[in-house]
Amino acid sequence: MLEVIKPGLETSIQDWPGRYGFLNVGFPWSGPMDAWSFRLANCLVGNAPGEAALECQFIGPTLKFHRATVIALTGAEMQGKLDGVPLPLWESIAVNAGATLEMRFAKTGARGYLAIAGGIQNEAFFGSRATFHKGGLGGMEGHAIKAGQTIPIGVGVSTAGRKVRLSARPPLVTDKCWQVEVVAGPNDDWIDAAGHARFLATDWKLSSKSDRGGFRLEGPEWTFTHRAHHKLPEHGSDPANIVDHGYPVGAINLAGQTPIILVNDGPSGGGFINPYTVPQCAFWKLGQSKPGETYRFNVISVVEAQSRARALTALCTESSIE
Amino acid sequence: MFYDEPRFLPGGDRFMVIEFGDELNLELNFRGQGLAQLIAENKLNGIIETAPFFASILLHYDPEIITFDELQVEMARLIASVTTLDDVELNSRLIYFPAVYLDPWSSEAIDQYIEKINPNKERDPAFIAKLNHLTDEAQFVRVHSGTEYWVAALGFWPGTPFMMPLDPRCRLFAPKYNPPRTFTYKGTIGMGGGATAIYPVDGPGGYQIFARTPVPIWDMKQRLQPFKAAPYLLRPTDRMKFIHCSLEEFAAIERQCEEGTYEMNVVGYQKISLKRYREWVATLDHTARF
Repeated sequence: MLEVIKPGLETSIQDWPGRYGFLNVGFPWSGPMDAWSFRLANCLVGNAPGEAALECQFIGPTLKFHRATVIALTGAEMQGKLDGVPLPLWESIAVNAGATLEMRFAKTGARGYLAIAGGIQNEAFFGSRATFHKGGLGGMEGHAIKAGQTIPIGVGVSTAGRKVRLSARPPLVTDKCWQVEVVAGPNDDWIDAAGHARFLATDWKLSSKSDRGGFRLEGPEWTFTHRAHHKLPEHGSDPANIVDHGYPVGAINLAGQTPIILVNDGPSGGGFINPYTVPQCAFWKLGQSKPGETYRFNVISVVEAQSRARALTALCTESSIE
Repeated sequence: MFYDEPRFLPGGDRFMVIEFGDELNLELNFRGQGLAQLIAENKLNGIIETAPFFASILLHYDPEIITFDELQVEMARLIASVTTLDDVELNSRLIYFPAVYLDPWSSEAIDQYIEKINPNKERDPAFIAKLNHLTDEAQFVRVHSGTEYWVAALGFWPGTPFMMPLDPRCRLFAPKYNPPRTFTYKGTIGMGGGATAIYPVDGPGGYQIFARTPVPIWDMKQRLQPFKAAPYLLRPTDRMKFIHCSLEEFAAIERQCEEGTYEMNVVGYQKISLKRYREWVATLDHTARF
């Protein structure tokens, strides 16, 4: 059992890949935003890569362990201390019963992950333990964890001192500029050549009005092809309006002139076009970036994106542990 | 418009969007719903989930099992196997929703928007009436509530219906708010483009708003009988009809819904035949209004 002393800033239980299978009733997947760090945290403590664990955003929680176990911290550097002793990232750590883990703000990266041997055992909702905080479902009572709650933990077998080899860790940037892969489509034919060129030549700034539902980007205006201006009235009157359609997770959704990357807790459909989509191999970069940092987008093919996702999944296994 | 051939569009490394056309039309929605059903019946390997919308369908696939190109071939084959939708009949529940049109809550949200965000915003009901060449708000209310609505898709937020009017004499169009509204009451009924929706929870919104229902479409507490299986009420292929109610009735029904004693009016024996719908639509004067 894990007692929440301080919740941190929207710390939530997530599992990977999340709540698949309900996009047709409007449930987002949820799940960890940086599934690279998340899966390796689980590997370190001997769990299956997708086991439920905590995602800590920007400011981490303070937690008290009521039973001895093994934990691992990965992702953002959140200055974790166990009974006052600083903890390393990317390494499994033995925890005694009664010990207190204190995390603070993220010094590098944005989201830290805490996995516990045996995994978190909250009640699953529609097949997943993941939290959709804004929608009030999954996780603990539907939301991010709160002070005073007790989080149920499973029993796992693991050992301290296991490490993720350096080459298998995500390379967090230090200059606040991220190179992010995108795949063109589904609605790239609504944007004119100048619009595409502008999109790919801009350092887009991540707005502070961003959360696990959508990442708003600040940058130049968009320009459109003929079809965006000449269409049936049911599309809506804005050039970026289209007859309401399903949104791919990762879609760069153009809400009027504001691009919003639809991430893990994003809407499953609506009436704006999606000229580009961020593939899963780049999601960890979104998860580890802070408002004010910038994205430069690089187009890759569907096949290339799939091959990079495969390579990433191969890294998130026991083979990366030493 | 109906495309001669469906369009297969990539959405990153694990989605495909198939567009059948680009208008609100029952037949286009039948195509998406029908394909989703075929995929489910054939248990196609590598397709994790599907989400049909008005005129398209979103497929989430596993590229470790099926590539984009293979999926396209497979989908084209399935789509081609449906030579006619004439014989298709879909079970369709009809659910009656009491609603107050030109209600004080929508009015309050509009006031707030005009005051804080856009002083030039015309009030929604009058604005939609003008855009659609109707005489006044009263006629707009008659036209909007004069048809059954087809639940073409659920999405955006858990359980939120995207609906189209089945009676072509009740088709209306409205632009979306730009920028969006920061607040809308739960149960507010609105429209954007040609679609009508109900807001499942309090929150921001982009549709023009003009009515409110006290009956929930989303309830995590699952108080009313139709919510026992899931916290959402509606499914694609349901139909909805708005029934005018007074503010007093609204208050009484809202209370009953909270107590879990409200008896929801769900009619469950009807089927929709695309062929008969088409035959009926062909007899109508589409320029007529109520």
